[in-house]
Amino acid sequence: MRKVFVILACFAFALGALFAPAFAQSPAIENELYLITPVSKDVHDPMLKAFAAWAKKKYGVEVKTSAIPKGTPVAYGQILEWKGRPQADVFWGGEGTLFDNLAAEGLLEKVQIPKTLWEAIPAAIGKPVPLPLKDPKGFWVGTTLEPYGLIYQPKLLKRLGAEIRDWDDLLNPKLKGQIAQCTPDRSSSSHASYEVILQTYGWEKGWEWLKKLAANTGIFTARSRDVPNVVAKGEFAVGFAVPSYMAFAEVLAGYELVFVYPKNAYVTPEPMAVLKGAPHPKAAHAFVEFCLTEEGQLLLSGLGVYPITPGLKVQGAPGSNQEKAVAFTGGLRSFFEVEIGNVYDDKIAGEKKRIEEVNSYFRKEIAEKHKEIVK
Amino acid sequence: MSSAAAETVPAGLGVRRLGLSLGGVLGYGAIWAFMAVFLIYPLLHLFYDAFTTEAGELTLANFRDFFTDRFYLRALGNSILLGLGTVVTTSLIGVTFAFLLLRYEFPGRRLFSYLSIVPMIMPPLVGVMGFVFILGRAGTVNILLMDYLGFPRPINFMYGIQGILIVETLHLFPLMTLSIVDAMGKISPSLDEAAESVGARGFRKFWDITFPLTTPGYVSGALLVFIWTFADFATPLVVGVDDLLASQAYLNIVQFVDRRLFKMGIVISAIMVLLAILFLIVAKKYIAIKDYSSLSYSVIERKTLCPLAKGGVVCFLGLILILAFIPYLGIALDSFGKGWALTPFPVQYTLQYFERVAFETPKFIVNSLLYAGISVVICIAIGVPIAWVGARTRLPGREVLDSLTTLILALPGTGIGIAYMRAFREPLPGFEVAFIGLWVVIPVVLGVRRLPYTVRGTYASLQIVHRSYEEAGESVGATRARTFRDITLPLIWKGVLVGSLYSFILALQEASATLLLVVPGHEMMTVGIFNFYIGGSVNEAAALGFLLILLGAACLLIINRLAGTRMGGVFG
Repeated sequence: MRKVFVILACFAFALGALFAPAFAQSPAIENELYLITPVSKDVHDPMLKAFAAWAKKKYGVEVKTSAIPKGTPVAYGQILEWKGRPQADVFWGGEGTLFDNLAAEGLLEKVQIPKTLWEAIPAAIGKPVPLPLKDPKGFWVGTTLEPYGLIYQPKLLKRLGAEIRDWDDLLNPKLKGQIAQCTPDRSSSSHASYEVILQTYGWEKGWEWLKKLAANTGIFTARSRDVPNVVAKGEFAVGFAVPSYMAFAEVLAGYELVFVYPKNAYVTPEPMAVLKGAPHPKAAHAFVEFCLTEEGQLLLSGLGVYPITPGLKVQGAPGSNQEKAVAFTGGLRSFFEVEIGNVYDDKIAGEKKRIEEVNSYFRKEIAEKHKEIVK
Repeated sequence: MSSAAAETVPAGLGVRRLGLSLGGVLGYGAIWAFMAVFLIYPLLHLFYDAFTTEAGELTLANFRDFFTDRFYLRALGNSILLGLGTVVTTSLIGVTFAFLLLRYEFPGRRLFSYLSIVPMIMPPLVGVMGFVFILGRAGTVNILLMDYLGFPRPINFMYGIQGILIVETLHLFPLMTLSIVDAMGKISPSLDEAAESVGARGFRKFWDITFPLTTPGYVSGALLVFIWTFADFATPLVVGVDDLLASQAYLNIVQFVDRRLFKMGIVISAIMVLLAILFLIVAKKYIAIKDYSSLSYSVIERKTLCPLAKGGVVCFLGLILILAFIPYLGIALDSFGKGWALTPFPVQYTLQYFERVAFETPKFIVNSLLYAGISVVICIAIGVPIAWVGARTRLPGREVLDSLTTLILALPGTGIGIAYMRAFREPLPGFEVAFIGLWVVIPVVLGVRRLPYTVRGTYASLQIVHRSYEEAGESVGATRARTFRDITLPLIWKGVLVGSLYSFILALQEASATLLLVVPGHEMMTVGIFNFYIGGSVNEAAALGFLLILLGAACLLIINRLAGTRMGGVFG
């Protein structure tokens, strides 16, 4: 009996020795990773750093990471322009529909991550319109939940004698010249929020509302990230369509800001996909995996965004960034604990024609006439 | 560096002397090849793109779209008005500065003359950021006005065309000063005396003598100021103005979603380049007609002012310089200040931003120095021969080379960037990657853009070195190469060095062509500033900007030690 055990053990050992090198080699990843992303440095930087540490531990590879920060439309266009010879590996952030378009063009590779991670993510969130959190075909996967809300500088707002609780508060005449927003053709958060307004009120009335917003607008910034920036600094009192993490980053940097999550505001799953023909495909898939691991999700939850799986919550020790984030967004710990209102319909808003219609209407009727609208 | 130049240059001369020396032809051919591939071809490609449809058919429709669009026409009008406005304001300040610094003696004159160039070393974006920190709606000035003087609302200095005018004026007036100082420095005092001897004084003397003689310098200064303002897209974007041509070109190009808008971005860039060429032709004609300038700098006798006037001059110069130094103050405060909002000055100070940009991510600084360094090598290898061919030979095509160099000065950076993007996007033969996918593209484009400064610096020095020195060398049997090495080079190296240092500073600060061309993983400081800024890390952007300003100031100090303020000629 004992002899058999020894033989078996020897056999197992030999087998192990035989397979061990093969096993250690096969999952090894490239030592570089390039990310193209509208998700700003506040979030992509810590994620890339943590990924490098994770990859070192898991694969023993020192991965040199780098990000190309571009607004969603620009990043999307850049990927088209690369024509299947991308200079980046992973595309992260924006709206699911753009990812669907890229997949249809054959520019994405199916995401390769462990099945359990994939299945932990619900298919959709929100009522009455469900918002998809992953691609049923498998070309992209949501990484986190992030509302596009309103922000204000409390001291300035108090001085102006105004209050911000929901969309309509933005039209208060006291806020004339005090609102900062990015244009919908340069920022997907702005575009999605314009759609929320248009789909809430309908095309005609929606644009009327948006023109009133323009009348109170003091600056159309070059990028969406500029909005929390100028509001934090006190240059303008209120910011429109600001991703929660961007505003939270300003708070972490020592500025005073308040975030408001208005009714039916757009919530993005910040999709992530691996580009076809990516120079470092294995590192790319590993990065997607890392973002969805508990470690990745935990890190994200300390940056002002929410876990994409119902199993996890934003919580930490008192005084931790997680707790600060919860306080900042008004006590919410998970998007799966509350009813999430959503009127944004991918099928309406995502169509290429509709996107162009919204942008060109904005350009013709608001951007070009802004000076007259203000008067 | 200089040995490479020495080899190419005399070879060029050989063509003239020996009829056809192989080395000479090759060297001259190499320069031409460089210009053809990295300047002419991309520009032609840009025009090709502007005149064709997506499918490659010839069309004028793109231009029709531009000239029938009210918004674009307004942008065109605004851009031209802004350019002219800046020329007027910089003229007022720049000419006064030049006049006072050259003609009068007053306390601190040397210091003022150094400080008056400093505002020029301001990387794009950094200047306007600095201004907003001090003059913005929540900037120091407005906070002081509101909190201490009871102003009900902030004064809008920055958000609008007036903000751009302030930024450009206080940034660019040194260009004007330099050009005028250079031109006035060349006026022989004997002309002044002659005028005075026949009774012309004051305004009459200025109008008949000084003005016509400084016109060429003034026109080139004005052209540079105009083009610079015309092509700047970063400043307008920060203050929320986008009905300008440069902003529209940039915004349309960096969005790829709408192909029609993208095409319009190309068309706008092509129009900007065409306009630049047009302005250049007009200005060049004017300069050529009025080229009275003598070759040598003359010693100017400075008048001493009465104490009251002295005080007035010092106050005036001081005031303008204080205004011009606003952005430096703003940048310095924000790069050390934490969470600075709605207080006149930051309440907390930290070094964390410098740690982040200098120690955690030193690549910006390393890349900047590396690329600017390589670009200067290119400038010297190509520029010194061009200057030499222009000043010392009658080779066919040398005038075209001269025009091309001047053209580069007038080309908007956005235009070059877009031209490169379009021209070099196909994979190189035998390679997997396109030229714009290699980091080398950055030093090359920097080298091309900053070439004129090296050429001008070298050319100016060559003009001062009289031919007879070289002839003396040749008469005792020295070869042309030997003559160049032993006689010409020792006499002109200062000019070459100063020109190259200008090329270096301006390459360090370039951020319009390179922003469009930057290769992931190879970002330089200017791109880092831009990325930090648009990534929301304004403090880090400020810290990086602060370091870049220090670098520029150090280079400028060296130039000043070497040549005084007299090297203004490199900008003409």
